[in-house]
Amino acid sequence: MSNVVIDINNVCKRYALSHQHRPDSLKTWLKSLVKGAASDVDTPSEEEFWALKNVSLQVRQGECLALIGKNGSGKSTLLKILSRIIPPTSGHIRVRGRIASLLEVGTGFHPELTGRENVFLNGAMLGCPEQEMRRRFDAIVDFSGVERFMDTPVKHYSSGMYVRLAYAIAAHVNADIMILDEVLSVGDAEFQRKCLGHMQKQRSEHRTFVLVSHNMESIKRLATHVAWLREGQLCEAGPADSDILQRYAAC
Amino acid sequence: MRWRLIDGHPPGLLEYCRELHQYREVAYVLIRRDLIIRFRQTYFGLAWLLFKPLMLMAVMSFAFGFLAGFDSSHSTPYPLIIFCGVIPWYFFSNAVPDGMNSLLGHMHIIQKTYFPRAILPIAAVAVDAIEFIVAWLLFALGCLWFGYLPGWQIVCFPLFFLQLIVLCVVVGLLLSVINVRFRDIRNLVPFLLTIGFFVTPAGYTSMRIPNQWQLLYALNPLVGIIEGLRWSLLNGLDGFPLISVGFSIATTLAIGLIAMRQFLATDKDLVDLA
Repeated sequence: MSNVVIDINNVCKRYALSHQHRPDSLKTWLKSLVKGAASDVDTPSEEEFWALKNVSLQVRQGECLALIGKNGSGKSTLLKILSRIIPPTSGHIRVRGRIASLLEVGTGFHPELTGRENVFLNGAMLGCPEQEMRRRFDAIVDFSGVERFMDTPVKHYSSGMYVRLAYAIAAHVNADIMILDEVLSVGDAEFQRKCLGHMQKQRSEHRTFVLVSHNMESIKRLATHVAWLREGQLCEAGPADSDILQRYAAC
Repeated sequence: MRWRLIDGHPPGLLEYCRELHQYREVAYVLIRRDLIIRFRQTYFGLAWLLFKPLMLMAVMSFAFGFLAGFDSSHSTPYPLIIFCGVIPWYFFSNAVPDGMNSLLGHMHIIQKTYFPRAILPIAAVAVDAIEFIVAWLLFALGCLWFGYLPGWQIVCFPLFFLQLIVLCVVVGLLLSVINVRFRDIRNLVPFLLTIGFFVTPAGYTSMRIPNQWQLLYALNPLVGIIEGLRWSLLNGLDGFPLISVGFSIATTLAIGLIAMRQFLATDKDLVDLA
């Protein structure tokens, strides 16, 4: 228990599929008030969908946990809850250390701002003070390989450039835990190699990773542990060198 | 290292404020960014910070002083009385919609990274507050122009100034969470602000309101603030507006309480609600 850094406890996430009970405008809300119908968002509707159901997991310091599973199995939902973007419906997670997360492409870049300005905005949101960012700026630009475009608004960036810069920032804020959602599949082969090399180096420095990927090759290279999610439930979890990956591939 | 708990319960006020403090850098970056964007691709750039209140004052003294001919028995220069009301109103009517739209306008960031969301409406109001401060500097120049010197009451100016900023922040917080769920409010607020201009003593003094309406009128928190600002800057003008200032503090606190409760309850769910 001593070096556990992420402790996920019975986490559930429910979504209402029918929006009947969710007032979308004042009019429907007022109507439901007049009719005396329940207007509460939390009213259980007929059609509900459990994106996650009773997921419990632990991640220790220095581990690299890969979440695997089909589309819609709840991997991204779990990462969003870990990153505090959405709250769990029930259950809780305990985290030790600072988290830097890269969810989908472009971790909250502002399109009107230049690459340079976004570096500082992003750094602040990842909890890294401006002075620190200034010191690491050159390393970030160097890693991202987009130095020619640092003074261009990021709305003109290609998705590859976007993700390169985003990864470079997240990699240089010295977070204890890095959360990556399908990030590696966007960059080109060269950048993927660079990231993999970087992650392996970070791992030796006891940094913890949680990632979602459909790329079995990078999972085999990076992950120390895998957790298989199926329809929102934890199907299997264990060391990456056990035969979970084979069973997942077979199914 | 401490454990951080992630669950579905709304955060406590104290815990939330601590987090706001922790993430204050985000606010600084956002404020600077908004200023940059506001004046990017403009020829005059930052000079617009001066031009805007200057134009406003010119138009207002023309409209109320010259055209409407409201000039009264005050010994105080009439344009100064008007500026004292128009400057706060201009700030309020800009800051409230900006605060209201700040959450929806930043959904792309909210959906990707965590930070206490209240930073967004606060930063939006802060950007307008910078213009507001510049406008008061121009007001000081106006005083020099008219050879007018404020009395001892000016020591209370920062209090009313602060109250107006607090009012804008809490109204912004409240409207911004409502705006995420009920986008109707976007269409309603500009209309309400138009009405607000007439029930706020911006272009006139509240002495013009008939006595039997004064209490109802004072329910508008801006009445106490603007009359208070006039009292503090214009040598006590019509005497200390005790009733409207009291009402104004009470309504500001009430709105503040509702806003904080609503915001804390909704903060975590914003992404799911939008």
